[in-house]
Amino acid sequence: MKPLTFKESKQLLFAPIIENNPIALQILGICSALAVTVKMDVTLVMCAALTSVVALSNFFISLLRFYIPENIRIIVQMTVIASLVIIVDEILKAYAYEASKQLSVFVGLIITNCIVMGRAEAYAMKNPPIRSFLDGLGNGLGYSFILIVVATIREIFGSGTFLGLQVMPDSYPTNNFLLLPPSSFIIIGLMIWIIRSISTSQIEEDENPLKAHTFKPLVAKKEASNG
Amino acid sequence: MKNLFIPLLACIACAVVVSFTAVSVRSMQDLNLENDKKSKILLAAGINSENIDEEFEKIEIIYVDFKSNKLVEMDEKYDHIKATLKSDLSTVVPKEKDIAILKRMENVGPMYLWFDKGNNIEKVVLPIRGYGLWGTLYGYISLASDLNTINGIEFYEHKETPGLGAEVENEEWKNIWKGKILYNKDGGVELKVVKGSSSNIYEIDGLSGATLTSNGVSNMIQYWLGPEAYGPALKIVKETFNS
Repeated sequence: MKPLTFKESKQLLFAPIIENNPIALQILGICSALAVTVKMDVTLVMCAALTSVVALSNFFISLLRFYIPENIRIIVQMTVIASLVIIVDEILKAYAYEASKQLSVFVGLIITNCIVMGRAEAYAMKNPPIRSFLDGLGNGLGYSFILIVVATIREIFGSGTFLGLQVMPDSYPTNNFLLLPPSSFIIIGLMIWIIRSISTSQIEEDENPLKAHTFKPLVAKKEASNG
Repeated sequence: MKNLFIPLLACIACAVVVSFTAVSVRSMQDLNLENDKKSKILLAAGINSENIDEEFEKIEIIYVDFKSNKLVEMDEKYDHIKATLKSDLSTVVPKEKDIAILKRMENVGPMYLWFDKGNNIEKVVLPIRGYGLWGTLYGYISLASDLNTINGIEFYEHKETPGLGAEVENEEWKNIWKGKILYNKDGGVELKVVKGSSSNIYEIDGLSGATLTSNGVSNMIQYWLGPEAYGPALKIVKETFNS
């Protein structure tokens, strides 16, 4: 394989942020995007955790790609991913206790995050380690980009704070809906709308278009059978 | 053969790395847990300090046997929450008395006391817990020197809905508790969380949209400060230490 050029590595790193975003285009990994975006500081820890897991799992799975038997590859991938997640969880509990307390099960749930599995299957199994690492890092950044935007909106308008600091005047009535998970569905939906109206190539073809009206009036049918 | 050995090797390698990490950060994690609990005890008592250990040395910890209502000696490492998992250290709470839905209750509970210069009780912190809407709320309640006026309340673990029940962590709501009175003239627990606004010193404004959480908090106060738990011990402590 050709050596990795600067341009290529840039493409690997930054394409998943807007052009090929794992959340906005592929609609993967939504669950944690809903659950951990109430407060910015917690979100940042989650982004760092997921990015390091995707990047490292891609790297190790790519290293092992010639040795992993095809028919049990998912199990081997899961072993690698689960170990990385446990390590991240243990480290967070030791060095970022407050954030890990608020993230609770969601760090553990990175194991089932579709982005991690998806990149391992789609990229790391077919590409060399450095490229896979960059691809993982890029996808982690893409995930982080969406989460940070959602968390910014939710924290500022939901709690009136940003990174725990008061930004809204005291008279601002906090929007409790933004503290509940469904609000991020709406924010992510709006983001997808904005991204797709700028980058029109992302608009998907309508797979099940509605057919034209084919209903014939009952009277006409009766006449037809009589005549 | 490949199907067998590669997964086996991968598992062994992963297991070694995971256990190595877990063991090397264990002491740090335990310290974090310990500090978190200590800081909540201090917060409930109204002490917001960086030097947790220094502040904690000023506290006298005594232990109460809930069955005999006597003060007992306990090992420093005794954890009353972990005790509820052991059959010899805890008892099943009878259903009709289990208003806070604890299921099991420890036989011995801690009491954190502060003394002033005249060796009179300055304030006390007691652990409380009980079921809310989604799970058990764990917290501490602090009483002033008369062991009847609320000094503060703090929750360190709960699963309540963000924006509704999770407002038990709201500073403004916690401030309402200060100065409220716990026991009525007959010695029964009178304090409760009511729907809407409070009308007297025995009532706390309910959390809007979180009736079940509010009831849960009410019930845990009723239980833990009542005759089944710390109620009798508080009287003893008052007689022993405050002359």
